[in-house]
Amino acid sequence: MSASSATAPRSASPPQPGEAILDVDHLHVAFQTPDGPVIAVEDVSLTVRKGEFLSIIGPSGCGKSTVFNVVGGLLTEHEGRVSVAGETIVGPHPSIGMVFQEESTFPWRTVIDNVAFPLELTGMPKAQRLERARHFIEMVGLQGFERRYPGELSGGMRQRVSLARTLASEPKILLMDEPFAALDEQTRLLLGDKVLQIQQELQQTTLLITHNITEAVQMSDRILVMTYRPGKAKRIVEIDLPRPRTSEIVGSEAFGRYVAQIWADLREEASRGLTDDETSRNRGSAS
Amino acid sequence: MAATGSLTASAPVRGRPNRVTLLRIGIIVAVLAGWELLSRSGWLYRDVVPSLFAIGKAIVALLSSGEYYFHLGVTAGEILAALAIGGVLGLIVGLLLGGNRFLAAAFESYLYYLGPTPKIIFFPILIMWFGVGPGSKIAMGVLSAFFPIALSVAAGMREIDRVLIRVGKSFRATTWQMATKIYVPAMRHPIINGVRLGLGVGLIGTLLAETKLSNKGIGYLIIQAYTLFDMPRMYAMLIVLFVLAIGANALVGRLGGLSNIKRR
Ligand SMILES: Nc1ncnc2c1ncn2[C@@H]1O[C@H](COP(=O)(O)OP(=O)(O)OP(=O)(O)O)[C@@H](O)[C@H]1O
Ligand SMILES: [Mg+2]
Repeated sequence: MSASSATAPRSASPPQPGEAILDVDHLHVAFQTPDGPVIAVEDVSLTVRKGEFLSIIGPSGCGKSTVFNVVGGLLTEHEGRVSVAGETIVGPHPSIGMVFQEESTFPWRTVIDNVAFPLELTGMPKAQRLERARHFIEMVGLQGFERRYPGELSGGMRQRVSLARTLASEPKILLMDEPFAALDEQTRLLLGDKVLQIQQELQQTTLLITHNITEAVQMSDRILVMTYRPGKAKRIVEIDLPRPRTSEIVGSEAFGRYVAQIWADLREEASRGLTDDETSRNRGSAS
Repeated sequence: MAATGSLTASAPVRGRPNRVTLLRIGIIVAVLAGWELLSRSGWLYRDVVPSLFAIGKAIVALLSSGEYYFHLGVTAGEILAALAIGGVLGLIVGLLLGGNRFLAAAFESYLYYLGPTPKIIFFPILIMWFGVGPGSKIAMGVLSAFFPIALSVAAGMREIDRVLIRVGKSFRATTWQMATKIYVPAMRHPIINGVRLGLGVGLIGTLLAETKLSNKGIGYLIIQAYTLFDMPRMYAMLIVLFVLAIGANALVGRLGGLSNIKRR
């Protein structure tokens, strides 16, 4: 039983090779608020296979970050089971590395000390961890900036520092929550290439959260489309495009078809979100 | 009016003596001249306003006596010990209050009430607990330095960027690693600020205690000079102390300036 909720049609193409490494099983998350419980995620199930790049896409507020926090072990109050290689997640798991939606570099550490941070926590000797850190700084293309402070870098560069820092911990599963959301379109495309290249180089199992369709189709093996509130799994789309990929693939016809298909799904949800907002606004002004 | 104008106009010029510096020197010279005039005029007892020469001689005598340095060492040691103890206690309490809403709700208002209370009123108790020697002076300094440090750490902790804490947790940092590698460096500005305030009030607390009841330290020497009516010596000590306090403040200020370089 892999992937998707009951409403999602099975894709025709055969499943990817590789064993399941991350399993989310009937996840429910509700937040207690002064106005009563808010259901953020309702019955989401998915399986990520080893070496696979899976994206979760959905309109703003549909519960993507909530799924991210649950899988990352930072949000433990939920129903359903999340497991890594069969091991249930009850807190941050050593196999999972997280890259956050927000700006998250340590402003008091230089680039290299930022990247070496997870290695420092494990007690790795200084010379060794700086060498490792240098390797990952090169991987994200920041060589020459090792001694700079984050305050001296651009937003895109800082996001690359965060990515290198998480990669330095060599997680089995890389978990990213809209890592490029705050960047301009060009930087986003170039960084996307970088991520693709790294992912293909490391055979890195990756779970990417995004609301950018192009980004999702460009990078993913499969895409989970989520519904607007409450966040459910609407459909799983297999992206059957050849690898290795770069941003050039964006121009191809097959790419356009996938984008159109997911856009149709999302438009439905986004407009549901809008009408939802409107009715609640109208209700608000009427009372 | 003219003075203000020249002040703002010449402020950016650095290095060579400008009008501000000249004005400052002028004021000092005027004060010294006035003092000397007052001393010679005979309006006040000569001993209350000793001549500049007598004070100068006393300063030289002071700085060349080993005894003075012994007492200076005692006071400096007391202040450093007070700052260290008060700093660590303030840091711990500040971290607890800043990190735990329940504790903050229960206890923080006490800190706000006790913070501005003159700590000298506790001095009799401290003497009974820690004796007449340096112990009670250190305790006074600790009591003074603790509050500003604890309060500024607690406030600083609430202002930490939450995502940095989540980063630490996602890398499975231990509680100790979280405290030393994330909380404390993230709060370096409020901590340094707290230490500056703590040093100021700790210095006051310690010296005040020394002047009240003691057998060692600068405060003790000052009061001794006063009771022996050795005014030149007393003024000499006040002047040296004043210069030292300015130096200490500048030093901590430099510390704060350094931390600003690494600011985002
Ligand atoms: N701590 C919280 N307390 C109460 N409600 C919350 C909390 N966190 C999230 N929510 C609610 O849960 C829902 C999902 O939030 P979430 O942050 O997961 O959305 P998202 O899909 O990541 O949105 P975006 O794309 O804008 O980042 C939202 O309706 C939000 O209001
Ligand atoms: Mg989000």
